[in-house]
Amino acid sequence: MTVGSIRVDGVSKKFRLERNRPSSIKEAMLRIGKKSDADDFWVLRDIDLDIKPGSFFGLIGHNGSGKSTLLRLMAGIHRPTSGTIDSEGRLSALLELGSGFHPDLTGRENVFLNGAMLGLSRKQMAASMDQIIEFSGIGEFIDEPVKIYSSGMYVRLGFAVAVNVDPELLLVDEVIAVGDEEFQRRCMEHMNKLRAGGTTIVLVSHNTTLMSDLCDTLGWLDHGRLMKLGDPDEVVAAYLAHVDKGDNTLTTHD
Amino acid sequence: MALSRTLSPTLSPSVRKSASLIYHFAERESKARYKRSILGWFWSFMNPLTTVVVYGFVFGVVYGAKAPPTTNGNAENFGLYLFTGLIVWSVFTGVVNGSMGWLIGVSDLRKKIYFPTETALLGGAAANAVQTLLEAVVLIVIMIVLANISWTMIFLFVALTQAMLFGLGIGFIVSVFNARYRDTQYLVGILLNVAFFMVPIVFTPDLLDNPSVPDIARILVEWNPPAIFVAIARDAMYFLETPQWNHLLAATAWATITFSIGWIYFRDQSMAISEEP
Repeated sequence: MTVGSIRVDGVSKKFRLERNRPSSIKEAMLRIGKKSDADDFWVLRDIDLDIKPGSFFGLIGHNGSGKSTLLRLMAGIHRPTSGTIDSEGRLSALLELGSGFHPDLTGRENVFLNGAMLGLSRKQMAASMDQIIEFSGIGEFIDEPVKIYSSGMYVRLGFAVAVNVDPELLLVDEVIAVGDEEFQRRCMEHMNKLRAGGTTIVLVSHNTTLMSDLCDTLGWLDHGRLMKLGDPDEVVAAYLAHVDKGDNTLTTHD
Repeated sequence: MALSRTLSPTLSPSVRKSASLIYHFAERESKARYKRSILGWFWSFMNPLTTVVVYGFVFGVVYGAKAPPTTNGNAENFGLYLFTGLIVWSVFTGVVNGSMGWLIGVSDLRKKIYFPTETALLGGAAANAVQTLLEAVVLIVIMIVLANISWTMIFLFVALTQAMLFGLGIGFIVSVFNARYRDTQYLVGILLNVAFFMVPIVFTPDLLDNPSVPDIARILVEWNPPAIFVAIARDAMYFLETPQWNHLLAATAWATITFSIGWIYFRDQSMAISEEP
């Protein structure tokens, strides 16, 4: 595989619903022999994607359509129930609030921890530390434990780390929306810069206008199935037409 | 820089990545242990020391247990006999008990970012190893002061390594169980309490020569893995004898086989940890 590509091949993901899960050995023992009423929930069904190096790929869909799960599978956090996901290159992900931060560690310590998880040495991280602090606008809070950060600070630091580690693949979930207008703009600018440098970007967002502006390919997920894939304007149009029919009110699970 | 997330055998970049994560977790474990304490590392000596004094008093003085004679007679002391056994036992239990906490400690993080989860356990074990090393130094210094010294002391480190690998093997397995069912930690705690008295630490093995002790109990006490590690450490440190070859062989087999099984099981199961609630 070429660096910067992600291949999703027949991927399905099943979660077991929490209410049906034994939480102690005793409960598990009592279950033995009884017919399991476990309600498996398929979050994703037979997804095939071929994300090319240097592309800007977007995922849209209603809440609970499986976008975030797909991103998590790409990031290697979960293992698919069936199918395979392969990626090549240094992968950096900003998946949710406080993504990959340990609440008790300071911002600086977390930056080093994140770097270690991405395979970067302390020295390499130290070299980009100033840049990260500057970009995040965290200031002197960098030496405070991240648990005292505001949600905006969390995201700003998370994004600053994710984009300043020279990623070859960048996965970004809706999180940027938490930051203020100015920060959002800087994020967009920076993502464009990364893209120009050849980084493959996968973005999840509900903002269809933004998505058709940014992405060169868009995928629309609905109840775990890939409904449409291709030209952003066409996919957005199909998605909006579907929403207008009002089929997706009150679906949960995200 | 290839970052392959499939469970393929580790390649050099991922080994380097793991090494820095292990270092990170070890550092964190060491720091967290004595955070907000004034005396810090001092406590790590107090714990084994008080255990030795209390047990030494109860078993050595109250019950009048005699420490077996040493070769040169210099270190004939029940407290030292105990300390030698205890240091091996505590590295084993420290890793078994610790691994459950280490895995729980990173499970929230692991739900948000991918990293090889075993590094948390290996890091915790590394921090334990440093602590154990300090205790071993204390023991060696005492022995040197008492002029009970010989080259065989290097086998203490063999026994400690074996105990640690054996403990990690078990730790890999119980930590996965514990991530699913928190009952595991209590069960393990109880089993380790029982196991403590199956290892000749607070008593001498010749106590079992009593005809009222059934053969099966004697064999269990003599040949359970921690007992073998303890026997090696005692031969090395206390009796200043070369450990028995069959002990060394059995200990190495227990350590490597248990570690390997635990490792394989953990590698297979650890991906599911991110899906635990």
